[in-house]
Amino acid sequence: MGKIDVLNGNKAAAWGAKLSRVSLLAAYPITPQTPLVEYLATFVSDGEIDADLVEVESEHTALSVLQGGVFAGARTFTGTSSQGLALMYEPYIRTSTMRLPIVMALVTREVISPQTVWGGQQDAITVREAGWIQIWCESNQEVLDTVIQAYKIAENKGVLLPVNVCYDGFSLSHMAERVDIPEQEIVDTFLPKPDITHVKLDPEEPMAVDPLTAGPMLTEYRHKQVTAMKYAREVIEEVRQEWLQLFGRDHGGMVDVYRMEDAESAIVCMGSPAGTSRVAIDEMREHGIKVGMVRIRVLRPFPIEEVTQLLSQVKAIGTIDRNVSFAAGFGTSYLELKTAFGGKTMPPMIDFIGGLGGSDVTMDQIKQAIVITQYVGQGGQYRDVTWFGLDEVNIQELFEQSPQEEKEGIL
Amino acid sequence: MNTSDSKNYSTQPKGAKPTLVKKDSFFTKKRFEFIFREEKKIKEAYYDVIRQEDLLSPGNSACLGCHAELALRTTLRILGPNTILAIPPGCMGGIGVVGFQGGSGAKIPVFFPLLDNTAAMLSGIKRQYQREGRDVNVVAFAGDGGTADAGFQSLSGAAERGENIIYICYDNEAYMNTGVQRSGTTPKWSWTQTTPVGEKGNGKSQKGKDMPMIMAAHNIPYVATANPSFLPDYIEKLKKAMQVKNGMSYIHLYSGCPTGWKFPTEKTIEVGRLAVETNLYPLWECVDGKFRMTHEVKRRTPIQEYTRSMQKYAHLKDEEISQLQYSVDQNYRKLKNLCKIT
Repeated sequence: MGKIDVLNGNKAAAWGAKLSRVSLLAAYPITPQTPLVEYLATFVSDGEIDADLVEVESEHTALSVLQGGVFAGARTFTGTSSQGLALMYEPYIRTSTMRLPIVMALVTREVISPQTVWGGQQDAITVREAGWIQIWCESNQEVLDTVIQAYKIAENKGVLLPVNVCYDGFSLSHMAERVDIPEQEIVDTFLPKPDITHVKLDPEEPMAVDPLTAGPMLTEYRHKQVTAMKYAREVIEEVRQEWLQLFGRDHGGMVDVYRMEDAESAIVCMGSPAGTSRVAIDEMREHGIKVGMVRIRVLRPFPIEEVTQLLSQVKAIGTIDRNVSFAAGFGTSYLELKTAFGGKTMPPMIDFIGGLGGSDVTMDQIKQAIVITQYVGQGGQYRDVTWFGLDEVNIQELFEQSPQEEKEGIL
Repeated sequence: MNTSDSKNYSTQPKGAKPTLVKKDSFFTKKRFEFIFREEKKIKEAYYDVIRQEDLLSPGNSACLGCHAELALRTTLRILGPNTILAIPPGCMGGIGVVGFQGGSGAKIPVFFPLLDNTAAMLSGIKRQYQREGRDVNVVAFAGDGGTADAGFQSLSGAAERGENIIYICYDNEAYMNTGVQRSGTTPKWSWTQTTPVGEKGNGKSQKGKDMPMIMAAHNIPYVATANPSFLPDYIEKLKKAMQVKNGMSYIHLYSGCPTGWKFPTEKTIEVGRLAVETNLYPLWECVDGKFRMTHEVKRRTPIQEYTRSMQKYAHLKDEEISQLQYSVDQNYRKLKNLCKIT
């Protein structure tokens, strides 16, 4: 097998791009993505990646350069965060509507204001309706593997959509972990050379790309894009299976599931809080609380079937969000789950918001969330949304309020 | 139409009078001779061009007398089929050069970049083709908004990075596709829909950007001004731009707009000539930092001839015209000095 190294999230992403044999890179530094640009530059300078690195003057240009590259048949890679993503939004939304299979690391960060440079998930959340596939990673190993998988998904002829590989700024981007780097030869068998022809600008085969298009035809384009997004679910699952066979690793498909077999309550989260949740779940299970976790690995397309099937089995759901939605003051996964269940009956659900602007989502907080969710599952009443650090959380009180016969179950 | 209705619904500047009538200064004997002489030169220059295939759709919806459309048609003939063309939103996009409903407006690969990322997208295309060892003309044909305003950042970045693309700006001195709104290159006192002439308004109150000079300051291998009314000069410059392999070449095209500037559609070529003959728009090139005039004007025509030829300047008073004359002469002197010292 490949070699073992200690990599931070940014370096893992750079390794993913290297192993995917990208030919055109363009990126503009922004905290916490900056080291990614430096790693890529070093790889190119050392001749380890045979690619052009375009030193652009903005994120807007970074993605635009890649779009041009795809028009010429290139496999491309970039990365950004927060305000960079905001500046990039104009070409960003067009990347999906032009069906360009670009892969971009999205090192998630809080958005300003107040002025901040630290982690969060708000940047990626705000663009979830821009037509990109969003895959959320939990570990640096998953970052590396997902970058390579992302090309396989994006370049699938039935998909042809851009993919964001999202990993939490600092919590993953700057944390070093043990990473198994796959062998180039095996990656090559997994990921063939790019064959992008639907938007090729080639004088030998002239084509107009993106002429003016009226409503009825545009509607058809949009419908096709949505269909491709639906189809991506199947492809993501296929890619997962193939990866498992070739490399023996599984990060989940649309969702990643932990100890859900006999779970009475479930924690739902995205990104780095999942790692902490696993440890918290193990500990709480020792206290007799049967809790499991559903990690939303792919936010777009949303794993509607998976979550409804898994979560309709439990008595209560607790979502942990490192972001907010302004629709109703809940976090995004809470709202997405509500939508996924639609009119179907669903277990009671409560939301926990934390980890904004680089705040930690701590073990204690997750344990509290687990206890409260369990309490709600047993018929207890609790506020719909709890903001860690703002709202007072008193587990002892919950314990007092619980019916005597259920106290044992709580703590 | 009810003539007693005093409300002015037209887009013509307030108080404008038609200035180009049959007996105006255009129809002097001297001018006819000049035109005859130039026509011969143009014919010769065009002889090569005319045999090249016209790569632009004949069925576009450009305004009558559009200078830019003429320039683009010639541009594509010179560039030939080994070309990838970017047409950002603007007049040329609006008239259907990229195409409509899945149909193409040109016989070469053509696409819409965003208004503000033309140079960036072309960078990506060119880089990939360079990697594959294929020499393809990668060309932008962009308006002044997509060049000097919204598109400036990506253009400046690409110039600085030395991207090997040909960037042609057709400057009709306002946002014409959206209906004549002021741009960064709109000259002082020009009437536009957003710099109207009225009780307080007197056209645009600021000077326009000197875009070709700004590009020359980027130290790119080739910068030139050109004018479709001087086609042989433009053709020569475009051919030079195609030879450049070590960076960007930039051509700034004067682009007369009968619709937005309010002059008769058949006068486009003449208005373009006047711009050069008055020294308002000198034809020059800058090769590797060396400036050179490509068309010497022996005795410049007073700027009044030019301002009188279109209604966007119809409101100008004598004092303003003499100020304009001063600034035209000053710019020209500056340019001549640049040619001397470089």
